Amino acid sequence: MGIYYDIDDILLEEEPISVVFQIGASGVGLLDPGSETNSVERSAKVTLPFWLANELFLRRAVSINVPACFSLETRKEIQADAACVDLRFRSPYFYELGCKILPLVIDKSIGPFLQYAFTSRYTEILSKSHNITGANPKFSSKLTKEESHLFEAARSSMISFKKWRVGGSRLEKASILGRKRKPTTPTESSTP
Amino acid sequence: MAGQSDPHISIFTPAEVEFLAEDELVEIVPNIRMDALNMICGDFGPFFPQISTKVPIWLAVALKKRGKCSVRPPEWMSVERLTHVLEAERESPREFQPLPFHYIELSKLLFEKAHDDIPDIYMVRSLIEDIRDVRFHKVEMGLEKISGRTHAVKLKNLSAMEVNIVRPFMVRALQAFYKHGSPEMIQQPESTVSRTQVLDRGPRRDLRPR
Repeated sequence: MGIYYDIDDILLEEEPISVVFQIGASGVGLLDPGSETNSVERSAKVTLPFWLANELFLRRAVSINVPACFSLETRKEIQADAACVDLRFRSPYFYELGCKILPLVIDKSIGPFLQYAFTSRYTEILSKSHNITGANPKFSSKLTKEESHLFEAARSSMISFKKWRVGGSRLEKASILGRKRKPTTPTESSTP
Repeated sequence: MAGQSDPHISIFTPAEVEFLAEDELVEIVPNIRMDALNMICGDFGPFFPQISTKVPIWLAVALKKRGKCSVRPPEWMSVERLTHVLEAERESPREFQPLPFHYIELSKLLFEKAHDDIPDIYMVRSLIEDIRDVRFHKVEMGLEKISGRTHAVKLKNLSAMEVNIVRPFMVRALQAFYKHGSPEMIQQPESTVSRTQVLDRGPRRDLRPR
């Protein structure tokens, strides 16, 4: 299916998740900055990347807390006005992380919440991406990776259509031919 | 734009769509005499001066460039027909009027290469622009309504270039909605009674009344 090689998937799994250890683990004290010995105590709270947390959860060594980007504060903001929330600041892989977390945590309301967030932001993306007025850095910097794929797809196809419509020749002059090049042979006197 | 980040969505550049449109037939009035051209795509009969024949647009443009013919505009490209189509488009907010599949590319080609053969060219040009704007606006309005329940989107009478513009966006939007609306994500169906409920008319979302 290609998810193994998908670079977005790999980057997504690096997102930090806070977990609570259910068992003690020795020899991995690096994971817990607050431990004095080289081990992690039981019920210690540690921040791990998602891929590690996933594997440990499957071995029933940790229990996973809901990450901060799905907290109540974020939910309230999204319910207030979904389109203005800066999701990229919270996590550029907001939706994908939510999808992956879903089977791991007890709280099952993440799914509908994600759907609601996406649906309400979708109409904004639709209108903004099809009416290009130069770049919209303010809006496009608030989108997650997945949303900005969508946004870029629409915007680039609109831009190429407008460019085609203007007409002009089908061939473009290569930019390297436009510059005057100084003579490189050392015998000639170089003009400034 | 043929190489976007997602290789599973194949896209044509507008120039490629224009290339495909050049196979449409158009009437020309040659002013030279020439033997028949026998090509793989067909035979285009011997050309006599002042006798009109139908040839593909690429051939018409090539002959016009050498000054060997004059192009007769197709009958859908008259001011009355286009005004009629524009009014019909404005009146029906959910339907698209039947128009030639490649009308955008044909009109651009003819404006560029054969602008002296078309009467009232500025009027025709602005009418076609208006029609295009109205139709695209309708497409956008229809796209706003798709939600997690949409399995397919039907757009009748849409032209080649318009399809090409919305294709990447629509495919990705539908994929994203499918992913978010899949059953393992939504475990409490009663909690998804949200604003989409009022627009939901069943599994298929037509963009025209059935």
